[in-house]
Amino acid sequence: MTSPIPFDLIVIGSGPAGQKAAIQGAKAGKQVALIEQTREVGGACVYQGTIPSKTLRESALQMVRFLQATEVFEFRMRDDVKITNLMTRLDRVVRAHGKFMKDQLTRNGIDCFHGRAGFVSDHEVRIQKIDGTAALVTAPIIIVATGSRPRVPDNIPIDHEHILDSDSILSLVYLPKSLTVLGGGVIASEYASIFALLGVYVTMVDTADRPLKFLDQELTDEFCEAFEKTGGHYRGGQKIATVQWDGCSKVTTVLESGETLESEKVLVALGRVSNLEHLHLQATGIQPTTRGLIPVNHHCQTTVPHIYAVGDVIGPPSLASCSMEQGRRAVCHALGLNPGVAPEHIPMGIYTIPEMSSVGLSEQEATAKYGGATVGRARFHEIARGQISGMTHGLLKMIADPKGEQLLGIHIVGEGATELIHIGQMGLLHNMPIDRFIDNIFNFPTLAETYRVAALDIAKQRQH
Amino acid sequence: MAHSTPTPLAQEERETLRSFIADQLERGNLDLPLLPVVANRVLLLSNDPNADASQLSSLIQQDQALAGQILRIANSPAYASRTPIVSLQQAITWLGLTMLAGLAFSVSVQNGVFHTTGYEPEVRNLWRHALATGLFGKEIARRIRHNVENAFLCGLLHTIGKPAILHLLSQSPGNSVEPFSWITVESLFEEFHGMAGSKLAAVWQLPDPVQETIRYYQDDQYHQAISPTKGAMITCLAHHLASVMLENSTHDENSLLTLPVVQDLNFYPEDMTALLELGETVKASVECFLP
Ligand SMILES: Cc1cc2nc3c(=O)[nH]c(=O)nc-3n(C[C@H](O)[C@H](O)[C@H](O)COP(=O)(O)OP(=O)(O)OC[C@H]3O[C@@H](n4cnc5c(N)ncnc54)[C@H](O)[C@@H]3O)c2cc1C
Repeated sequence: MTSPIPFDLIVIGSGPAGQKAAIQGAKAGKQVALIEQTREVGGACVYQGTIPSKTLRESALQMVRFLQATEVFEFRMRDDVKITNLMTRLDRVVRAHGKFMKDQLTRNGIDCFHGRAGFVSDHEVRIQKIDGTAALVTAPIIIVATGSRPRVPDNIPIDHEHILDSDSILSLVYLPKSLTVLGGGVIASEYASIFALLGVYVTMVDTADRPLKFLDQELTDEFCEAFEKTGGHYRGGQKIATVQWDGCSKVTTVLESGETLESEKVLVALGRVSNLEHLHLQATGIQPTTRGLIPVNHHCQTTVPHIYAVGDVIGPPSLASCSMEQGRRAVCHALGLNPGVAPEHIPMGIYTIPEMSSVGLSEQEATAKYGGATVGRARFHEIARGQISGMTHGLLKMIADPKGEQLLGIHIVGEGATELIHIGQMGLLHNMPIDRFIDNIFNFPTLAETYRVAALDIAKQRQH
Repeated sequence: MAHSTPTPLAQEERETLRSFIADQLERGNLDLPLLPVVANRVLLLSNDPNADASQLSSLIQQDQALAGQILRIANSPAYASRTPIVSLQQAITWLGLTMLAGLAFSVSVQNGVFHTTGYEPEVRNLWRHALATGLFGKEIARRIRHNVENAFLCGLLHTIGKPAILHLLSQSPGNSVEPFSWITVESLFEEFHGMAGSKLAAVWQLPDPVQETIRYYQDDQYHQAISPTKGAMITCLAHHLASVMLENSTHDENSLLTLPVVQDLNFYPEDMTALLELGETVKASVECFLP
């Protein structure tokens, strides 16, 4: 191999974290090398995660809205709307997004390498190309953004045929009659609710007594109710003993309680693992944690100060939104640029049906911190916009301090929750008192009005 | 591939065959011979009340013709579900095994199970190649966490035009004397199998990704496929792997690594090594069904 090609910055991985890091470096006038092991840029976010799952969800929702509309407007939908149609749309969106990202990198003068990166030393990275040849690059700053992939539990024989993971489920060519979803986290809940809406008999199984345990219980209660209304089932407090394809037509999931569940397909969504295996981290002296993550400080700096790690590879919150910001901030820090104020309140968006979102303190956290909390609620079906749109589910929950004066958190379940949350986020960022939501005018009729209604609910409690 | 003794055909004879096939394809006169071994076993199993359902299920998945016919029948108005049946696995689950056994039985009978074409060893090699392509397709799809069922079906059916052409040849003028030389047959395959396969796939209304794969599975064409299942790309590589395994390829294992499709699927040398290591397992599965 010839001598290493010098760069100012090397970024490994082209997912949201790596991309934003590379673009930030290029915008600062640096010569940037971006190494990606797949021919396509964009990472899990574009090909297996955020974009495809949200596109599938949107298609499913549109289809169901259409079906509902057929009753009102007396037209008929084709009987054979195929899942491949949904998937073709998905593929088109994904391809368009992938192309957009590639163009953006080219526009910024970033040198993209198609190959697998592995450290040779703490300043040198070897790029193994697909044809078996290799190249060497070197830089004073290196950003690791290699992301994550679905975890494969030892006791579950995922074959991507009958027992799928969150990657292979995206290539389904037909809707199974039944689906058992193992897991109760974000990905499990999102796919469970999408497939239930599409008419699949879905059973979710998890050890926790309710899905998405980290969320406010009122939100998950509302989600569970909607999920069950569409024909979904949640089996909490269960451990999985075995999962087995019968060689013919069904997969049997045996629970430790002895109960068996039979379904045409199984989706395994039991967490993700960081992509470390090709990195040869040992050449840098960085020691992964016992959970297989790269440990970093709050600047995303590893124990080797000129090597940073960003995105899913460092663990939670494992969101594309956060990964991008981590990538940008890490490069700013490494180059001595001002990254701006650190994000204080990270919103969480969960695209279940109905969707959920939260920012700031939960009722329990507020109570623990302030010795109590005042909670205001607004239900979507009680406000004009909700009634017009026929929303039967939907709740905005506003958390304030015990006196009911200061906004501390917002939790929303219902369509539009992930957009609506940002009003609350801005309120939190600017330490907004509850009364600002009352002494204000919101468009009418909108879902944003729920902020005012919830604030009024808090104000009412203050008078007593 | 084993060759029957070549019977040199006069150029005009070959031309006669060419125009016969072109004409038949134009008219849409297409059918498929069923593999006697598989058909026989289906008959035995479907009459055996103690037969294991999974045996029948895997047997049904071993024969191009049977697989294609079952998909066609499963999608016919008599059996059709609300959504189209696009996978064999789906057909098995949807129709139930008893119904499938019945279908397999009737398909076997209709196809003249005991009909011989005069190219038995060559035909068997075609089936072996198709099956090996399907099985490699499964493994490729598994590695990239893509749809395994679809990859198998696309591989199994990608050269379905070849047996269709053989079937046509068996009805051609001049067939009664003796079989045509295999070299001639292969040159006809080369020219017509894509078209014959596409026509058959369209007439039988095979699933869209399968139709697309039949049309575009070759190296210089898979880029034209738009189906999100990557069927054409996966089948292209699976086809090469099957050819190398069955030793009827101009490629060796090393030159496989330089194929553009390997790069397009993001397969690194170690991925290819792992895939090639599965060769023995694939071979064993193929031999198990087509001894
Ligand atoms: C089903 C699903 C739904 C999701 N929904 C949402 C959502 O709604 N909102 C949200 O914010 N987030 C969502 N996420 C999470 C989001 O996709 C991830 O947090 C995000 O993609 C992480 O970005 P990343 O850049 O860290 O890694 P990735 O996107 O995983 O990208 C890492 C890249 O590095 C490459 N790579 C790995 N190893 C090497 C190597 N050695 N050499 C070269 N390249 C390498 C990989 O090929 C990949 O392209 C979802 C995830 C999933 C799976």
